[in-house]
Amino acid sequence: MNWMAFTPELTYVAMAAVFLGLSMAREDHRRDFHTALVFSAVGVGVSLASAGVTADLFAESYRVDLFSQVFKVLLACGFFLVVVLCNELSGVKRRLHPEFYLLLTTSTLALMLLVSSVHLLTIYVSLELSSYSLYVLVYLRKNRPRRESTVVHYFLIGASASAVMVFGIALLYGSTRTMYAVEMARVLPSVISQPAAAIGFVMTLAGFFFKLAVFPFHFWAPEVYEGAVNQLTTYIATASKAAAIALLVRLTALGDSSAALAQVLVVLSIVTMTVGNVSAIVQKDLKRLLAYSSVAHAGYVLIGILSMNPAGYAGAVFYSAALVTLKFTCFMVLVKVAADGANITVDELAGLHKRSPILALALMLSLFGLCGIPPTIGFIGKLLVFTAAVEKGYFTLVLIAMINVVISLYYYLLVLKAAYLTEPKAGLPPLPVSAGDRLLAGTLIVLIVGIGFYPDPVIQIARSAAAVLL
Amino acid sequence: MTTTATLSDPNVATTLAACAAPLLAFAAIFLGARRFARLSAGLSIGAVTVSLAGAVFLLAANWHAEAPQVFSASWLVSDAVRIPVGVLLDPISLLMMTVVAVICFLVQIYSLGYMAGDPGFSRYYGFMSLFAWAMLSLTLSSSLFQLYVFWELVGLSSYLLIGFWYEKFSASQAGKKAFVMTRAGDVAFMLGLFVLLVGAGTLDVTAVNGPAAARMNPSLITLSALLIFGGIVGKSAQFPLLTWLPDAMEGPTPVSALLHSATMVAAGVFLFARLFPFFRQSPAAMGVFLVIGTVSMLLSSTMAMVSRDIKQVWAYSTISQLGFMIMGLAAGSFFAGVFHLTTHAGFKALLFLCSGVVIHALDTNDMFEIARKKGRRLKLAMICMTLAAAALAGIPPLSGFFSKESILAALAALDNPIWLAAALLGVLLTAYYAFRLIFIILFPRPELVQPESGRGHGSGHGAGTAMGSALVVLAAATLALGFAAAPLARFLSGDPAAAHPGPHLPWLPYAGIGLAAGGLLLAWFEFGRPAADQKGFVERVPALAALFANRWYIDVFYARLISRLVDRGLAWLCAKTDQRVIDAGLDAASKHIIRSSGVLSALQSGMIQHRLLVLFAVVVMLGLYFIA
Repeated sequence: MNWMAFTPELTYVAMAAVFLGLSMAREDHRRDFHTALVFSAVGVGVSLASAGVTADLFAESYRVDLFSQVFKVLLACGFFLVVVLCNELSGVKRRLHPEFYLLLTTSTLALMLLVSSVHLLTIYVSLELSSYSLYVLVYLRKNRPRRESTVVHYFLIGASASAVMVFGIALLYGSTRTMYAVEMARVLPSVISQPAAAIGFVMTLAGFFFKLAVFPFHFWAPEVYEGAVNQLTTYIATASKAAAIALLVRLTALGDSSAALAQVLVVLSIVTMTVGNVSAIVQKDLKRLLAYSSVAHAGYVLIGILSMNPAGYAGAVFYSAALVTLKFTCFMVLVKVAADGANITVDELAGLHKRSPILALALMLSLFGLCGIPPTIGFIGKLLVFTAAVEKGYFTLVLIAMINVVISLYYYLLVLKAAYLTEPKAGLPPLPVSAGDRLLAGTLIVLIVGIGFYPDPVIQIARSAAAVLL
Repeated sequence: MTTTATLSDPNVATTLAACAAPLLAFAAIFLGARRFARLSAGLSIGAVTVSLAGAVFLLAANWHAEAPQVFSASWLVSDAVRIPVGVLLDPISLLMMTVVAVICFLVQIYSLGYMAGDPGFSRYYGFMSLFAWAMLSLTLSSSLFQLYVFWELVGLSSYLLIGFWYEKFSASQAGKKAFVMTRAGDVAFMLGLFVLLVGAGTLDVTAVNGPAAARMNPSLITLSALLIFGGIVGKSAQFPLLTWLPDAMEGPTPVSALLHSATMVAAGVFLFARLFPFFRQSPAAMGVFLVIGTVSMLLSSTMAMVSRDIKQVWAYSTISQLGFMIMGLAAGSFFAGVFHLTTHAGFKALLFLCSGVVIHALDTNDMFEIARKKGRRLKLAMICMTLAAAALAGIPPLSGFFSKESILAALAALDNPIWLAAALLGVLLTAYYAFRLIFIILFPRPELVQPESGRGHGSGHGAGTAMGSALVVLAAATLALGFAAAPLARFLSGDPAAAHPGPHLPWLPYAGIGLAAGGLLLAWFEFGRPAADQKGFVERVPALAALFANRWYIDVFYARLISRLVDRGLAWLCAKTDQRVIDAGLDAASKHIIRSSGVLSALQSGMIQHRLLVLFAVVVMLGLYFIA
């Protein structure tokens, strides 16, 4: 067996083991932070180093290919960035910091396993591992009234989604007699017209609809985004979404030939983006607003996936990278503004451009990116998925998506208005932004605009990654 | 047809320099020069001078050019998605570029005086440069995608110029309205581009105007033309998206002069002219454009008749004149629309800049207030304003007369006389509202005039050199431009006879002059003559006055519609769900056993069940869908 292909995952296993040990050691939150920082940086390096590796592991239930490696790099970067934000992890008791990192690591490990899994059971087990880590993580927030209710809410919806998914897997197995994705791709086209196979297929996707917060599995998003520690919300909004997109792309590529499946996804996409955007308008809490914005973006991503053509899959892969960048930038600003780890309302961003110009600029560009204003990475993402859909003739869908984009502009502008045009409350000092934070914000700004201007390399990667699936 | 140029071509090099200079100035101002106000202004004006020189050079060099010149490169998004970018030099782009450069230059000079001492002086010049770059690049774009990007950038810089200036504006309902309304138009525009791309396979301007569109299905042409026209409606503030423009007048007056009268809002009309051959392939769409132009022209004229705010009057008049241009273009006369665009840029910028002098000196926008404070003593400004108002009204021999006359001639060529009648009515109303304002200011009722007061504002405080010189140049243009009709017609369409489109109707100019004079006399009778009580005939009918003053209740209609649709409909529902989750959760939590209630409340508040019910119901419905 080629262990080299498994090194990124092993790195995170080692990291988890170290934090398991640290959780039993004396309390020292600086040590925990630095350990996590070093390990996650190593994780980025290792996943980059193994980016070109291909292999089939564990009785061919685990495939290391360009598609999985691209997402592993994305996950490693997302995880690293989240750890960078944990410098001031004031939302969690210091005694629990090692546990926090431990669970975050296992969740990342699970997501990495997920993007490489090509057997329905490994897919299911990885998905559950990542979800269970998150259930506990949500509970770790200190001084949060009714956090149990948030977690139970999250858990019940997650468990329901899993139940639907397992039932779907059973149906799918019943009609195709296989659990291997590769074989399924061969068998499925001939049986997809049978109701059992088609229903099984859609229900199998339910687990990822839950992760991605697609209607009707999106109900957890606002509660959990609001209830979780800011850093954890960042993680849920970035890394966890990217992995869900990866698996949706991988699985949908199997059921390519079904028009009925595409129609179901069209309906889900429309409902999801509309529910997300319309609900976001009335939100006061910034995290709740971003939660609904994530729901809306799940709808846009589905457009790329349901196009079921190479351009659409590549668009979805690109879109996931864009989402990670843009959402992370938003949350970085949020974490910095809410220095004491509390939740903030949109109004509390007032006068951000005076308190910290660079954070305000980063926020503005990321919001522009989320609305899809050129030249940002978000515009290219939308351009790719929309053109893929138009190529397939989904004209009405794109029209509805564009109307949604206009609706979304409204609430993004409300946030910008607060940040740029409202005067800060008297007595609020400038935000302390360290040199490292400046560097991070600057890098993100350059990425958002730079890839917006010259997206070709990233598109090439997305395209070759998606090409592996077909 | 077109010649392809390379980078070393003097035309292309000049064009790129002319476009890039303001961008460099913008970057320099925001990267460091911001702390030095004079340096920032110098950089910005220097850059726009380069653009102006470039534009004039290009216009002169290509005055007799036979074919449009194209310089193109491609922006490689990926190997499959290749976005061509480039420069297209043809008569319409060269003319528009020159107009934009001239007005930008003059307004920036004027702003030296107007904005002097303002704390945001450098920032203002920075945004001015950004605008100049975006607007110049827009006019020269060789592909519609590129044009669209700059179109958005122009909108953004407009928002920055008003919004950063007057914090209350962007925070206000009006600011949101401006953004949402223009965006609504832009979405239609973008969809139109999509249809065009799908139908014709290209967004290249020359291809769309030529062979590519000929291959398209006629209904697709109509669809995309109508959608693209949506963008024009938004940008040029035409019916039904016309109410944002008067609200945008809260910005500094030079910004209103530059963006909201002469250049940015005219970008819509420019786009129409740019795609004129394409639009003309769909007679149905042209019919719709004609209706929209006419309706906007008449509606906004009536609104201008009752407003007391001088900038609002000019804003309404801008909408109305843009409507005139669209009528001219939609009637099939390329020259008439573009010529009116050119002359209008001159006299409308002049009107705004004169108003700026008055507002600057007297600190009020209200025309009666200005009259009371003896606005007429600001001699230069008042002379120029009267001149420009006469041009607006279409009094010969000023520029507005000639361009309006060619639009009337184009409309007279149509089969249905109603368009000509509407336009003639518009001429009457225009003269009336323009001179209503002039007479109110010039001939205040003696009993209301403020006695000499010791306040600093007064006659000595009029236009400085910077502001005055801009006025004089524009006034000269207003006097002279009308006589350029024949050469411009030759330049634009290769045929001097295009200056007089349609059948030769000897009575038409007289009808135009007669109606303009009629409007002027009516204004004189009601506002100018010594015994006038300065109450317009509209104001004698309160219902009508209220209708006009409330902008035909268009805003009220939108507000109702939006509140019904969004606030009371969907958003209300979502807010309700939200409340129910939290409130019901809290209530249940307090009702049930306290210690372990965290878990229980979530289970018993009822909401989680409802949500799971929705979840499973949807899954079941999906299942049914596949079985059925």
